[in-house]
Amino acid sequence: MSERRHVRVGVNGVPRDGLVEPRRTLADFLRHDVGLTGTHVACEHGVCGACTVLVDGEPVRSCLMLAVQSDGAEVTTIEGVAPEGGLHPLQQAFRDCHAFQCGFCTPGFVISGIAFLNEHPSPTHEEARHAASSNLCRCSGYAGIVEALELAAARMKDGA
Amino acid sequence: MIAETPSGLGTSAPRREDVRLLTGRGRFVDDVHLPNMLHAAFLRSPLASARIARLDVSAAQRLDGVRAVYTAADLEGLVKPIHFDAGIEGHKVPPYTALTGDKARYVGDPIAVVVADDRALAEDALAAIEVEWEELPAVLTVEQATAQNAPLVFDELGDNVIYHALHEYGDLDGAFARADRVISVPVRQARVTSSAMETRGIVVDFDPVDGEITCYASSKAPHMLRGRIAEHLGHDLHRVRVIIRDVGGAFGGKGAVWREDLVIAAASKLLGRPVKWIEDRSENLTAFGGARDQGFQVEAAVLEDGTILALRVSMWMNHGAYPGMWLTPMFAALVRATILSQLRIDTFSFETLIVATNKNTYISYRGPGSVETLVRERVLDTIAAELGLDPVEVRRRNLLTVEEQPWQMPMGVTVHRAHARETLESAVELADYAALREEQARARAEGRLVGIGVATSIQPCPGFPDWWEAIGYKTEAAPARLRLEPDGRVTLVTSEMPTGQGHETTLAQVAADQLGVPFEHVRVVLGDTNTTPFYYFGTGASRSSNMGAGAVIAAAHELKRRLVELAWPQRSLEEIARSVYGRGDARELEAVDVLAYYEPHATEGGWAASTHLCVVEVDPRFGTVAIRRYLVAEDCGTMINPAIVEGQILGGIAQGIGVTLLEQAGYDEEGQYLAGSYLTYVLPKADDMPEIEIHHLELPTDEAFSARGIGESGMVMAPAALANAIEDALRPLGVRVTELPLTPTRLLELMGVLPEDSLTVL
Repeated sequence: MSERRHVRVGVNGVPRDGLVEPRRTLADFLRHDVGLTGTHVACEHGVCGACTVLVDGEPVRSCLMLAVQSDGAEVTTIEGVAPEGGLHPLQQAFRDCHAFQCGFCTPGFVISGIAFLNEHPSPTHEEARHAASSNLCRCSGYAGIVEALELAAARMKDGA
Repeated sequence: MIAETPSGLGTSAPRREDVRLLTGRGRFVDDVHLPNMLHAAFLRSPLASARIARLDVSAAQRLDGVRAVYTAADLEGLVKPIHFDAGIEGHKVPPYTALTGDKARYVGDPIAVVVADDRALAEDALAAIEVEWEELPAVLTVEQATAQNAPLVFDELGDNVIYHALHEYGDLDGAFARADRVISVPVRQARVTSSAMETRGIVVDFDPVDGEITCYASSKAPHMLRGRIAEHLGHDLHRVRVIIRDVGGAFGGKGAVWREDLVIAAASKLLGRPVKWIEDRSENLTAFGGARDQGFQVEAAVLEDGTILALRVSMWMNHGAYPGMWLTPMFAALVRATILSQLRIDTFSFETLIVATNKNTYISYRGPGSVETLVRERVLDTIAAELGLDPVEVRRRNLLTVEEQPWQMPMGVTVHRAHARETLESAVELADYAALREEQARARAEGRLVGIGVATSIQPCPGFPDWWEAIGYKTEAAPARLRLEPDGRVTLVTSEMPTGQGHETTLAQVAADQLGVPFEHVRVVLGDTNTTPFYYFGTGASRSSNMGAGAVIAAAHELKRRLVELAWPQRSLEEIARSVYGRGDARELEAVDVLAYYEPHATEGGWAASTHLCVVEVDPRFGTVAIRRYLVAEDCGTMINPAIVEGQILGGIAQGIGVTLLEQAGYDEEGQYLAGSYLTYVLPKADDMPEIEIHHLELPTDEAFSARGIGESGMVMAPAALANAIEDALRPLGVRVTELPLTPTRLLELMGVLPEDSLTVL
């Protein structure tokens, strides 16, 4: 065990201080130190994407990033993508398209999807399908996820 | 399609579960954080078969933050030996301990547990445990395990055969003598695993003052888990409580008690503190368990026109080492009781050979008997190929019509109002099968490997009592409780334990519809053994939409009857509630609080049916399979919530594509596990999925409520339809498809591009 280090991470706009071991992952820091359990850990080796969060706006597998690496960064988790009591258009589209069942992988898909839509506001079906292939879901068969990405893009464009 | 009602039965009502899950406010087991909680990690065997010559935990115990290290010896007397013997004739069930103390029997066998202040410390301490192993030869396959002088997985059994039985029905010799041809079909399906996105996990909180054990778990059967923990720990059952909120997928495997659960419960009892164990993905893939791993040899006695006179089926199963709670002979019985499907076959034999090996525990995985469909549909396609008939025509000749039903299958199972034929005709028409065959002919003329595959099946959802009897399990009734609350709203308490199926929504839809109250007025309570009625089975086997909903209907009818006595609907529910509760007289509460049950005793209905039809193209350069078209025609009766029904079908097909093209929980010759991460255990992704067309027949039965299960259907059907399509695509090369998975490597071997056995995966 090595010495703990101080980190200050902006989490959903709120500065959070922590004293963490250098080996502590960002996922564990968010879940266990900050207490935001919406970020889920499902594979611990960067394949499934369930733990995806935004670090300074970029999607990151938080199981592969250390908390100390995020010192000074601004992190957005699933709890922070929409104002309290509301849903992000992509969350709403996930609901409307029955894009999930058990919901364990869902936060990671929503975060990855938001990052994708930021870069690709008008995705083609193939682009949406390819984007949805970044993460693993064992329940849905993915059709609803692809559809939700397309629906959210259309709604966000209409709303813009 | 039933009409939309104000309460929305038959509509795709958005799910109540959704918002909490979308916003990160779900509560999965790893989200449970209790004061004073400790964290556990398991030391597991790195070898497939090895005697523990020396095990020294003293260095690990001395590490900072480590509260305890336990081995098998420490738990003796505290956790009873695990012995899931159901008294099945001829079935050998070796007892074993929660932690292995003598001989490790697969890679991943737990031999010690560390309990520490956090998980990282616990894992550090695992590295400080000293083990001296005496490696022994391992057996991985049925052939190895049944060879002469094979090493024994359990010495006390004398050999590795766990179960061997032969069931014969009718005059087999006569039928085979009458046959024009006898057609042989070998089929093998590799070991796979369910791999829900949430791994296993449990938090056990033993309160040393009042003696209560509270468990938070990821399980689909809370009452079963409660009972098994009490039984194995010798703890008063009424002092064990299981609480479950959200479960991140189950697909069969989470309906049992596991060795780790018992160890964690024991650790909490010994330490008097809450202890959490969350399985990591590597443990989940290695040590949770494997499914399928079955092989078949079928002999079909047929006439030249494709009529099947009799089937001789011989099946082996690779049991792995330790028997799980659901016993392997029952999985084999599922296959035996279902393999004839809706075919007009009255002469049949089924041989079962189940063999212990140095692999992980055999688990239930969505459609645990689903290989029956793969095998039967491979037999039908082989008959078609050998007799020069169209595969659809062979099915037409052998499928019972509705008019021929009720029909009693030779093993005693009743088929009644099963609509496999109707789904076949519907799929053939919707796909324009004749046109597909013409397109295929054109593609073949261009040298392209295009194939068409069809599979048709019926699924017991929930199945008649005689079907459950045939697999040796007596069906129980499913309970539900409905209560009018003081504010005139309704609380539904169900013992279903959804793992993604959306029962908080669908069962509220059913209750609202039956009571004639708004959907929003029905609250659903589940997942706590303190409040839910006893129900051992939990959620599974595609039973909830019939049995779970059936119990809600029974409770609603009784509540309605009692409310009518209280002058409903002349008086509103609010008024009735005010008068009952307003006086505060407990004598009246019974009038508005109903516990009811539903027992599937019907002699008709009960079978869901479906046909899957697909078109594939195999790329001869890379051995990849492109699914060009995928069509489903299915009958699950009345749909409570079509979006949820379709989600079940789509998700099942994805898993079916996985086991057909991608997934293999394989071992090497030494018994090392080859698929311990998602880099090597390859799950389907979005771009592996075709567009899927779904057509619902919703055929009526005479039952009051004809919703039938759909949860397993996609997983059961897809491997059969795809395997048939792939063989059809490779027909110009003369390739026979006899096994799954058909990975690119395997297809290149079959096409002669790579040498046979270029990879050894057992």
